[in-house]
Amino acid sequence: MSSKIHETAIDYGDAKIIRDEDRTNPVAVRFDHVRKTYKLYKNDRQRLLATFSSRIKCDYINASDDLTFTCKRGEALAFLGDNGAGKSTALKMITGVCFPTLGTIEVHGRVSALLELSAGFDMRLSGMENIRMRCQLWGLSEKEAEELIPSIVEFSELGKYIDQPMRTYSSGMRARLGFAFASSIKPDILVVDEALSVGDRKFSAKCRKRVNDIIQNENVTVLFVTHSTAQAKQFCSRGIVLSHGKTLFEGNIDDAVEFYENT
Amino acid sequence: MLTMLKQILQENWQWRHQIWDLAKIDLVKRYRGAALGKIWLFTRPAIYMLVYWFTLSVGMRHSADVNGQPFLLWLAAGVFPWFFMSDAINTGSDIYHRYPYLVNRLKFPLSVISTFYTLSIMIIFVCTMAITIGVCLLVGVHISRYVLQLPLVMIIMFVFWTAWSIMLSPLGAVSKDFANLIKTLSMPFFWLSGILFQLTSLPPIGQKIMTFNPVAWCAEAVRSCFIYKQWIWERPEELIPFLIVFLVVVLLALRNFKRLYKEVPDVL
Repeated sequence: MSSKIHETAIDYGDAKIIRDEDRTNPVAVRFDHVRKTYKLYKNDRQRLLATFSSRIKCDYINASDDLTFTCKRGEALAFLGDNGAGKSTALKMITGVCFPTLGTIEVHGRVSALLELSAGFDMRLSGMENIRMRCQLWGLSEKEAEELIPSIVEFSELGKYIDQPMRTYSSGMRARLGFAFASSIKPDILVVDEALSVGDRKFSAKCRKRVNDIIQNENVTVLFVTHSTAQAKQFCSRGIVLSHGKTLFEGNIDDAVEFYENT
Repeated sequence: MLTMLKQILQENWQWRHQIWDLAKIDLVKRYRGAALGKIWLFTRPAIYMLVYWFTLSVGMRHSADVNGQPFLLWLAAGVFPWFFMSDAINTGSDIYHRYPYLVNRLKFPLSVISTFYTLSIMIIFVCTMAITIGVCLLVGVHISRYVLQLPLVMIIMFVFWTAWSIMLSPLGAVSKDFANLIKTLSMPFFWLSGILFQLTSLPPIGQKIMTFNPVAWCAEAVRSCFIYKQWIWERPEELIPFLIVFLVVVLLALRNFKRLYKEVPDVL
C-alpha cells in the first residue's frame, strides 16, 4: 500500500485539492489564493437548521485569506506570526484534516504531522494498540509495522507503560508517544507545530535532535510553526510571516525573522 | 449527487484493508478492560434473550410455536438482528463522536468510519446467527433451505445501516440534540417493530405502516429464513416499501454528507 501512488484531485466547489504521493515533484506544497472560512453560528441549533434552510444567518471568519506560497522539495520553511494569524489552519489544510473554502492546494508526498501531539489517540486502547492502529492507518504492512514499533517504543521511553490503557497516561507521556510515532514513520513532508517543548529538558533536546536529523535528510520537506524565532533560525532556511490569514513577507529566514520582530 | 456517491465508494475501496482492521479494533474497544474479554460480546445478547424468553413464555404464557418452529427460535431470529440495529441506531447515528480523533486529528475519510463501525457490529451479528444455527442443528430443529438467503439479508442490512449512519452522523456531529433525539427513538423502534410480537396481530392499517419501517423489515427478513420459510422477494408488498425507504435513505445520506462533511471537522 505504501508503495502505491494514488492521486486524488477533488473539486470542493470553489476549492481544489491536488494530493498525490509523487515525491519526485520539485514542489512539495503549493497554496494558491487559499481561503478558509469558518462559519460561526449563535448555537448548535442554528447550525443544524442551516443544513435544512439557507436563510439562517451566521458570521464568517477567514482564518486564512488569500494565502499563497510555494514550498520546494527538501526545504525547511518556518511560519511566523502571532496567535490567530492562521498558521495552524494552514498546517491543518496541508495535513488534510480540514478543507479550504476557496483556492487551490497542492500536496505532493505523504504528510506526517506533529500537531497537538497528545491528541489523536484512542483513550480506551493501550499505547501499543494505538501505535499498531496508527501504523495500519499510515498504510504500513504488518511486517513493516513490526520492524518499526520497537524503535517507536524505545524513543518514547514509556517502558512497561506501553501496554497500559492510554487514559492512564499523563499528558507528557501521550505527547512523547505522539512525537515518537509521527517522527518515526519516514514521511515525505513533516509538519511541526510547536511540538518541540515535549516533556522534560532531556526529552525535548532529544526531540530537537530528531527533527534536525529529519531536516538534514534532503528529501524531506519540513513546515515549521513556532513563536520562537531562535528555533526557526536553527532549523529553517526560509520563512513566511503571516498576519490575519495573509502572507506579509516571504523570504530567507534571517530577513523573515527580522521582519517579524519589527512589526 | 453522483460524484458524491462515486467519491464515497472510492474512499471505501481505497481503505478496504484498513476497514477490516479497524472493525476488529472497534470490537477490542468494547470489551477492553474486562477480565472476561471476548465473552462479553456474547454475554449481553444471551442474557437479554433469556430475559425476553422468561417474560414472554413464563410470565405472559405466550410461547406457542410459530409456523411450526419453536418459539425460542422465533425470538432469537428477531432479537439478534435487533441488537445489531440497536447499535446502528444508538451509536451508528452519531459515529463521529465515537471516533473524534479520526475526524479532526488524522486524515481519514469520514464515510469510512460509518463503514467499519457497521462492519464491526455485523461481525457480532454474524456470530450470534452462526451460534443460533449451530444450536438448532444440535437440538434437531429443522433448518430449511431458505436459510441460504441469510447472507443476502445480512449484506442488505449492512449496506442499509451504513447508509443510515452516513445520513445521520453529520447531523449528530453538528448538533448534540439531534443525536439525542435519534437515541430516544430507538426505544419506540424496538417496541413497535414486532421484535417481541407478531406483526400479523396488528390491525391492517398498522401492518401497512410497518412495511415502511426498516427495523421491522430487517427482523422479518431474518425470520423469513428461519420461520416463515419464504424467499424475501416472495412478499413484494413488504419488499417494495423497504426498497423505497432504502433509496430515500441513500439519497438523504448523499445530500447530508455532501452538505456537511467539510464542516464536521471544524465543529466536532
